[in-house]
Amino acid sequence: MNHVVCIAYVPDTDTKIKVGASGTSIDEAGVKWIVSPYDEYALEAALRAKEAKGGTVTVLTYGPAAAETGLRDGLARGADEAVRIASEGVGEADSLAVATLLAAQIKTMKADVVWLGNKGVGTDAQLVVPMLGELLDLPHVTLVTELDWKDGSVVAHREIEGATEIVEAPLPVVIGAQKSKAEPRYASLKGIMAAKKKQIAVKKPADLGVDIASMSGANAAVVWTKLELPAARQAVKLVPADDPAKAAEELLRLLREEAKVL
Amino acid sequence: MTNPLLDDRDVAFTLYGVLGAESLLGLPHFEEHSRETFDAFVSVAARFAREAVFPATRALDEDPPRLVDGRVLVSPRLHTLWPKLREMGVIAAARPFEVGGQQLPLAISTAASLYLMAANPALFGFPGLTAGAAHLIEEFGSEALKALYLEPMHEGRFTGTMALTEPHAGSSLADVSTRARPAGDHYLISGSKIFISGGDQDLSENIVHMVLARIEGAPSGIRGVSLFLVPRLRFGVSGLEPNDVGVSGLIHKIGWKALPSVVLSLGEGGDCRGWLVGAPHQGISCMFQMMNEARIMVGANGVATASVAYHESLGYARERPQGRLATSKDPQLPQVPIIEHADVRRMLLRQKAIVEGGMSLLLQTALYADRASHAATEGERQHAQVLLDLLTPVTKSFPAEKGFESTVLALQIHGGYGYTSEYLPEIFFREQKLNSIHEGTTGIQGLDLLGRKVVAHNGAAMRAFAEEIARTCERAAAAGVAASWIGALTGAAVEVSELTKELAQRGRSGDVEGMLCHSADYLELFSTTVIAWQWLLQAAAAREAMASGSSERDFLEGKLAAAQYWLRTELPRVPALVTLCRENEDSYLTMRPSWF
Ligand SMILES: Cc1cc2nc3c(=O)[nH]c(=O)nc-3n(C[C@H](O)[C@H](O)[C@H](O)COP(=O)(O)OP(=O)(O)OC[C@H]3O[C@@H](n4cnc5c(N)ncnc54)[C@H](O)[C@@H]3O)c2cc1C
Repeated sequence: MNHVVCIAYVPDTDTKIKVGASGTSIDEAGVKWIVSPYDEYALEAALRAKEAKGGTVTVLTYGPAAAETGLRDGLARGADEAVRIASEGVGEADSLAVATLLAAQIKTMKADVVWLGNKGVGTDAQLVVPMLGELLDLPHVTLVTELDWKDGSVVAHREIEGATEIVEAPLPVVIGAQKSKAEPRYASLKGIMAAKKKQIAVKKPADLGVDIASMSGANAAVVWTKLELPAARQAVKLVPADDPAKAAEELLRLLREEAKVL
Repeated sequence: MTNPLLDDRDVAFTLYGVLGAESLLGLPHFEEHSRETFDAFVSVAARFAREAVFPATRALDEDPPRLVDGRVLVSPRLHTLWPKLREMGVIAAARPFEVGGQQLPLAISTAASLYLMAANPALFGFPGLTAGAAHLIEEFGSEALKALYLEPMHEGRFTGTMALTEPHAGSSLADVSTRARPAGDHYLISGSKIFISGGDQDLSENIVHMVLARIEGAPSGIRGVSLFLVPRLRFGVSGLEPNDVGVSGLIHKIGWKALPSVVLSLGEGGDCRGWLVGAPHQGISCMFQMMNEARIMVGANGVATASVAYHESLGYARERPQGRLATSKDPQLPQVPIIEHADVRRMLLRQKAIVEGGMSLLLQTALYADRASHAATEGERQHAQVLLDLLTPVTKSFPAEKGFESTVLALQIHGGYGYTSEYLPEIFFREQKLNSIHEGTTGIQGLDLLGRKVVAHNGAAMRAFAEEIARTCERAAAAGVAASWIGALTGAAVEVSELTKELAQRGRSGDVEGMLCHSADYLELFSTTVIAWQWLLQAAAAREAMASGSSERDFLEGKLAAAQYWLRTELPRVPALVTLCRENEDSYLTMRPSWF
């Protein structure tokens, strides 16, 4: 069974995000980039499936050269091959543009399962999984925490509000991974050394027959018009409690008029 | 803010910007590596330390091992952490490919270990001790022992210990009295060892003790001590079988609680087998050859614990509002975060200078160790070896001693909250204290430095060190570092060098007591100068980075401020200490035990 795991390189969740000069994107100076945590669960699930059933795992990303660090990490954890679709020279790509590029590449591969994190942290759009399903004309299952393998199909456990939904889909299939009990492994030094010897294939959008200019930047289906940070957290307001009755009154007033929770 | 344990920027800046660690890649031994493999390993260690280990700090401190029916059971948390740690490949990272290692430079594996030690020194004790024990077997063991033990130890299926200390033989290993009686291909061992870290636990399949013992009829003293491999379970016809190694007690420690320290009884039933490692009576000499590495590890622990404490107090100082600035006492104004108070910044800057100066020296020493083993020419290897030997006592003791002070400052910055067990600093300072005790107390390091290292090879080490300082001064001048800073280091270096010659002369003329009486003060002044050397290097690298237009302006300004702090407020203490040594101030020399 061949697994393709799509990974996105995103700002570390610990990063203090600043809005960039354009006002529509983040200021990338000093940002530490990581593989989106949900994608790590996807990779872990694919690696475990390979270990149990055989096959190969390919990690795939759309991004700048720096994103190859994430691909190398995937190789070090046990993936067999890595492909980067180069984002150099491409304007801001929305979910549809990214899904189009990924789909074009995946069509050139023999994938039984296409894995992604259910969402990319940061943008949290949750769009690429269903889009990829559509573009590849494959079934897709989101929010997956566990998979059971059958002949020619998979049984997926979906984490939904207060319950687990169990669905079956034929292979090939696109899976959106949710965080699960199967915690992502850490790369070993031996794996890191082995990964160093592997080549990362780099493809340009044109190599995949995608006219990316027509669907990115100002031509994208979704254009970011403004990015702003949430208002700074209010300092604590202390209500003097010398007179408990008065204090309670004041507290009620604040909850009603300022916090507007009552 | 979550505690980063170490500042990633600082680790990279020190390794590559200050010390030029990338130059190792030009040596054949490291040719399989690249900056990418270095960075990948350090970042995996950092990530595991931050995500999985550090959050368990308090829990591991409160859940020490238990002795149940003669076996030591460790915290269940260790059972989840340990497999991940060993699978990462930390034990054999720096060992050669042919014994299953990955030939990583010691400087890089040390940088990676720093994160793990900062997250929990006790957890890192297991791979650290196992690596040390395996290295002894690799270097001095027979082919048969290597074939049996190296692989499972490198994989962490077996763990290792150093079983040296006995109740009456701690600092003085010449007095070791555990016995070894020849019995065919092995020896029968009998005796008792105390404080043996990792001496028993339920984490690994087997435990391999490296035991110092005396072969029957051996001469007394240090030249009669041999080294033995004594497994908890020995290889028998039907697999692993008991080897008469018992646990007669568990030590209740004030720190490093997750790592059991036990009293071992060897051969109570008369059937504890040990296999000689190295030649008979050469045990201490084998240990000595591994000593630099073991002491660098302790220095790394000192730096690591000081670093996590520093970052804890830095985070606290940025967030804790208290009081107002002396210039605006208006009570209507909101309180300022305590980092706005100059006295709090004094404590933070002192910690920063100790932590980053200590780390710089640590990685510098580890680089000398790499070059001593793998540099291209014999001359370069010897040069590095001489500097490694000279600097090891400082690399071991400075982070332990000043690092302890640094953890106390971290507690102080937390005010009353620091004195409670709700906050972490009280753990850090308990953890840190061990580093001045194990692997040779600070007192022993002082004696080693003054009695042995600075006078070795007719002063060749001191000459090599003076050349390093001169090179640093040239680099600093070229980078545009203030001439007064450079002059301060040069002046101190000259004073230290002259004092050393005088003390050596005192020793040669037979006044050994007069030479060594102030070994503690000598260690202090020597260490202060060594750290000043590292801070001048750091300042030079910071200036170079500024000149090349680095965007990390705040980080680099911070480097210059810390360098200034060390050169202006610490280095001036050197002359006073020099005077104490030179004039041989004799209060404690003449003080009699009966006068106390
Ligand atoms: C938590 C912990 C873990 C340990 N783990 C191990 C282990 O895994 N394996 C192992 O073998 N040992 C271990 N030890 C033992 C440790 O190495 C010894 O405690 C150490 O060597 C000091 O020996 P001692 O305790 O007998 O102190 P002593 O040697 O009695 O020293 C007491 C004091 O006297 C001073 N002193 C002693 N001799 C001299 C001298 N000649 N000149 C000047 N001053 C002197 C010392 O500096 C010290 O201040 C561990 C200890 C601890 C606390």
